[in-house]
Amino acid sequence: MNRTKRTANRRFKLFTAATILALAALVQAQSLMADITAAQIIKQANLASFYAGEDGRSDARMIIVDNKDNKQMRQFVILRKDLEEGGDQNFLVVFSRPSDVKDTVFLVHKKVAADDDRWLYLPALDLEKRISASDNRTSFVGSDFYYEDVSGRNPEADSHQLLKQDDTLYYLKSTPKLAGSVEFAYYTMQIDKRSFLPLLIEYFDDSDTPIRRVEVVEVTEVQGHPTVLKSKVSNLKTGGYTLLEFRRPAYDLGMDDSVFTVRALRNPPKNWLSAK
Amino acid sequence: MRQQLTEYILNQPKKVFILVLVLTVVTAAMIPMIKIDTDPENMLPANQAERLFHNKIKTQFNLHDMIVVGAVNRTAQGIFNPQSLQALLEIADQVEAIEGVIDYDLMALSSVDNIKQGGPGEIEFEWLMKQAPNDQAAADYLATQVARLPLLNNTLVSADHQATSIYVPIADKNESHRIATEIQTIIDHVNSADEYHITGLPVAEDTFGYQMFVQMGISAPLAGLMIFILMWYFFRNFKFIAAPMVVAMVTVITVMGTMIGMGYTVHIMSSMIAIFLMPIAVVDSIHIMSEFVERYDIHAERKQVIRDVINELFKPMLFTSITSTIGFFSLLLTPIPPVQVFGAFVGAGILLAFVLTLLFIPAYLVVLKPESLSSLQNIHHSKSKLSTVIKSIGGFSLSNNKAVIAAFLVVFAVSIWGITQIKINDNPVRWFKADHPIRMADKVLNEHFAGTYDAYLVLESDADAVQQSFAKKLATQTLWHRQFELIEQQENGFKEQLNEMLFWAEDQLFDADAQQAEQLEQLINEIDAVNARLALFKSPTSLAYVEQLQAALQQSGLVGKSNSLADVVKTVNRELHGGDAEDFILPDSAAGVAQTLLQYQSSHRPHDLWHFVDQDYATTVIWVQLTSGDNQDMTAVVEYMDQYISGNPPSAGVEINWAGKTFLNKVWQEEMVKGMGMSLISAFAAVFIMMVVLFRSVLLGFLAMLPLTLTIVFIYGLIGWLGKDYDMPIAVLSALTLGLSVDFAIHFIQRAKDLFAENRDFKLTMRLMFEEPAAAISKNAIVIAIGFTPLLFAPLVPYISVGFFLATIMAVSAVVTLMLLPAMFKLLSRWTLR
Repeated sequence: MNRTKRTANRRFKLFTAATILALAALVQAQSLMADITAAQIIKQANLASFYAGEDGRSDARMIIVDNKDNKQMRQFVILRKDLEEGGDQNFLVVFSRPSDVKDTVFLVHKKVAADDDRWLYLPALDLEKRISASDNRTSFVGSDFYYEDVSGRNPEADSHQLLKQDDTLYYLKSTPKLAGSVEFAYYTMQIDKRSFLPLLIEYFDDSDTPIRRVEVVEVTEVQGHPTVLKSKVSNLKTGGYTLLEFRRPAYDLGMDDSVFTVRALRNPPKNWLSAK
Repeated sequence: MRQQLTEYILNQPKKVFILVLVLTVVTAAMIPMIKIDTDPENMLPANQAERLFHNKIKTQFNLHDMIVVGAVNRTAQGIFNPQSLQALLEIADQVEAIEGVIDYDLMALSSVDNIKQGGPGEIEFEWLMKQAPNDQAAADYLATQVARLPLLNNTLVSADHQATSIYVPIADKNESHRIATEIQTIIDHVNSADEYHITGLPVAEDTFGYQMFVQMGISAPLAGLMIFILMWYFFRNFKFIAAPMVVAMVTVITVMGTMIGMGYTVHIMSSMIAIFLMPIAVVDSIHIMSEFVERYDIHAERKQVIRDVINELFKPMLFTSITSTIGFFSLLLTPIPPVQVFGAFVGAGILLAFVLTLLFIPAYLVVLKPESLSSLQNIHHSKSKLSTVIKSIGGFSLSNNKAVIAAFLVVFAVSIWGITQIKINDNPVRWFKADHPIRMADKVLNEHFAGTYDAYLVLESDADAVQQSFAKKLATQTLWHRQFELIEQQENGFKEQLNEMLFWAEDQLFDADAQQAEQLEQLINEIDAVNARLALFKSPTSLAYVEQLQAALQQSGLVGKSNSLADVVKTVNRELHGGDAEDFILPDSAAGVAQTLLQYQSSHRPHDLWHFVDQDYATTVIWVQLTSGDNQDMTAVVEYMDQYISGNPPSAGVEINWAGKTFLNKVWQEEMVKGMGMSLISAFAAVFIMMVVLFRSVLLGFLAMLPLTLTIVFIYGLIGWLGKDYDMPIAVLSALTLGLSVDFAIHFIQRAKDLFAENRDFKLTMRLMFEEPAAAISKNAIVIAIGFTPLLFAPLVPYISVGFFLATIMAVSAVVTLMLLPAMFKLLSRWTLR
């Protein structure tokens, strides 16, 4: 009995210490960041997620899994160059697998103030084609990712609200300004305070049922930028999900603007496609 | 031993009552466990190859059970007008939100994608109808868009533009009644001048189940009531006729309770058990009681009368019960589970009724107070009006025996001709009456659309062969082989194993020297080649073959439309190339197909692709829409395609099979026709042998078979003549006819033999035959025939046809027995009664 009491005592001391520490941390955090607004968090998050470095490349592999565990695979290289920090940017996506879609290319000129410009090249049909980008919430090549998940949703499209925060995370709720333009009613985000990467995004329908979830599974630091290595999008309606794995990411490679022109569709820049 | 039993019963009637009571209570307690089953699929055993294949395909391609909602606007403007489309959109949106609806697979104009030309040189994927059009021009434009999409045209919108549909996939078909009701409420609350119909197999099944309950709750008690009234008419003594009613009730309760207790579901066939057993169960009682009334008077020693009656009737009752049972048990030879369950339990029920009659009736008669029986003395069947008619029939048949035989021969010939006219056909939707909302919806929607009956033509390539040849290649390289074995332990599908192997090879490539790199490249090429061989339905030649099959389906003349992966590819290919009709073709390489499909998947509904092909592109499904759910039409399509395919075989290793409910219906129908033939032949043989044994004469055995043979031939001739389809309930009738109509012949021949043995005079025998025995036979025929008539008021067509034909069977076989048998006896008098 004596021993139990002693243990309990020690536990109590530990607990008190932990509480004091936590409280102190909280007070400090609040005093440091008390005045950060939802808009600022979103801006930071947008930069952290889509604008790391001046440009960047990564190998990407997608495994698309349906509710019966059937799998499809996509493998591609994604190149990005920012025209303006937090503003317009260009993407080039070059497929390598499955081998029958090898050298299929997507070129996206992302525009903050207007609809994006999108082009497509299909080597087997020897066909260059513009794709209308009026709706960015269509599937990205059959996966559970939307185009918008890959290139970033315009922060201005939603009104954001900071719900709460704790030691590590900001909790936000975002509601589309144009209701009915998208398939969800609102979404919530948990944004990492340190890296400003959204670690969990959940989309809800009118009846507050979660319908879609975007999770960051693995993050690493690359050239000083916290970089997502693995993420997962789950379609909670169909029960399917897609895993996206980035490999050999690199930033500030000094890519030329010519990499992102329509001319590059047929001849994608070989030197950026394979990792150095 | 039988006599000892009768003695025991006569001395210990109370013990019999307790036994019967316990039996009834115990079995009745199980009835609340009742489970209704209305799935036509269950006409096939759970392990039937076609059924397993159907369900495999259904799961693999997410072919959910669908409720079909159809909107029809019969004005010149048709459905493409802002108001109709607005209403449709509102309804579709609300239906999508109903719990149990698989919203992401719901098909409506407002929930599917359009692929079209955007700006100059631009391709655009967008919702076909996110908002309803504001004006007529926009509505007309929408119509032109739908016309360009072969997957939707004539599936979602009818070719005449008067109708549009919402396909509502549901997760659990047992919920279909609730969901259909909610859909109806939604429709009622949306302002629309269009007529809306709700149909689809799950709704039909659910409604059918409900009406089966109605039938059981109304028709069976009604049959009981009819029998009660009839018996009252014959015996005019409530206490007296209570006994056969008790036998009937106890039989029905025991059989139903046992069946349910044993875990059998109540299917369309077994729901008719009560109504079948009720009249059959009272037959033996009626024989005993007629005979008892004939012999009873207030001064007679009652126990002795009962003994005499039982002694006289035991043999014919035993034999008629056994022959009826054989008729029903023969249904066990038909490989359709609900029919087997029906046959087994009705057969067992008849034996039970026989035993109960022998136990309960004597016990009951012995405890009845003398004053209760006093009224019976005034009734003698041989003096009734019915009897007068029957006597004149008998007299006529005997005096004009040759003419009677000739007339029956003519009827026989005409009936045979009728049988050759029989159409073998069934269609579960036709189980509803013509004015039922489901039948109406079915009619309207099939008038407008290319068909609401789905079947699937499935093409499967031989993945195993590819896998084996890859395994052989791997075996040459130890390192690869070992790696692949590691992967095989983690991944299940061969395709995933290949992918993992590929990932491994590519990772190895990063740090490989030149020689290793060359080998790894070789492996990667090999895997690519295997993948290409696996994905057979990315190849333009395979898709061209799919196109050919579709063209053949169309040529069969019975298919409204078919949809396939080839249609998807051609549509996307056309839009990629600028939208001209001349580009509605297949790309010329597998990579072209793959890249086209990659675009198709960049839509709002990428999962739609997997309704047509599996993720490996090794199996593909052609959706076939038929305007008729008739089995004979499905059969015609299957035969047409069999012939086409044998003339134009697919590439090596490709197997082609059918799936879909419409196809399954065809399968069980064929099984049934075959099985019923078996049932009928074996029952016929078994009964014939029994008759020969019973009468110890081949000739008498042959005569005993005459009435039932003629009855069966006549009934099926009649069905042929009436142009009524030979469907499941009709098929089941053959075995019943056999079991029931031989009864009359047994009683007739046995009694004639007994009488002749007493008086050795043919004329006297025949005269006596048309006293009590013929009266009892006709009374039985009337009781059974009338007993089945409540079926005529049932809400479902199969019950009505069974009711009609059973009543006819009873009447015909009684007439044949009472006319043909005396005529034949006279003709063959030298040999028949000796």
